[in-house]
Amino acid sequence: MNFQAALRKEMLEQLRTYRLLMVGAVLIVFGLLSPLLAKITPEIIKMIPEGETIAQLLPPPTILDAVAQYLKNTGQFSILLALLVTMGAVVQEKDKGTAAMMLVKPLPRLTFLMAKFTALALMFIVTIAIAGLACYYYTWLLFGALDVPAWLALNGLLLVFVLVYVALTLFCSVLMKSQAGAGALALGLLFIISLIGSIPGLGEHLPGQLLTWGGGLMAGETETYWSALWVSLGIIVAALAGAGLIFQKQEL
Amino acid sequence: MEEIRQFIPFLVPIIIIQLILVAVALSDLIRRERTKGPKWLWALVIIFVNYIGPIVYFVFGREE
Repeated sequence: MNFQAALRKEMLEQLRTYRLLMVGAVLIVFGLLSPLLAKITPEIIKMIPEGETIAQLLPPPTILDAVAQYLKNTGQFSILLALLVTMGAVVQEKDKGTAAMMLVKPLPRLTFLMAKFTALALMFIVTIAIAGLACYYYTWLLFGALDVPAWLALNGLLLVFVLVYVALTLFCSVLMKSQAGAGALALGLLFIISLIGSIPGLGEHLPGQLLTWGGGLMAGETETYWSALWVSLGIIVAALAGAGLIFQKQEL
Repeated sequence: MEEIRQFIPFLVPIIIIQLILVAVALSDLIRRERTKGPKWLWALVIIFVNYIGPIVYFVFGREE
């Protein structure tokens, strides 16, 4: 069995377990809902008592509010999805004995892991692309056209941000003995990263800054945060390498 | 209220996605021999909890 065959198996699995449907549905719904929410929030506020006066104080919603909603919603939910669809990736196959079965055939363990990561990455590339397109369309209808190069850059940064958590969760899935354990450890790592991010001066070098960067690009800001991108890519490589090293030595 | 009504057509694709999720989750539930927890409870969760219901079923309810 080679990489291509393993990748094909992973992708079939994503279809069969409805993971692709699940991730796609959630991200597309937020792609559509974000500009809509930005547009109607003032109207909703008007419906609560005294809302009229509050609504008058608010500036009318702009295209940047739609972008901010998209970043907030897809940012939060894609991490959650990354965790949910990745936590069982390796641990479940070890548990059921299918990993041992697959690896009896001459499939190098690293190839097995890389096929898993590639399949997950492809899933998020496709679903974020569709969500980005959905949000672009609704924003265009409700506010006007978004700047296309900046929008592509924002979604690219969002993808890297998600892949950081996919790689970290994959690492946890190799390390732990149960799916729940892998999920809990991944949540813990997520918490630690956000804790480090709250230390002044450090946050701008961490994955979360990628979303801020994307939002800034849409607002026409020229500030760049390359260090956050390098750190994110570094975490991905380190998590995958760590997972590979541990997996090589594990007994199945 | 009038202003909000004009945005209702925008919700149609979102509702369609929700219906697809419910349909797929229910058809999987019907065909599956065993689930984690009682089947009737999953059916209620899938039908009545918008979006989250089918997703929770996909992640936690199905037993291979």
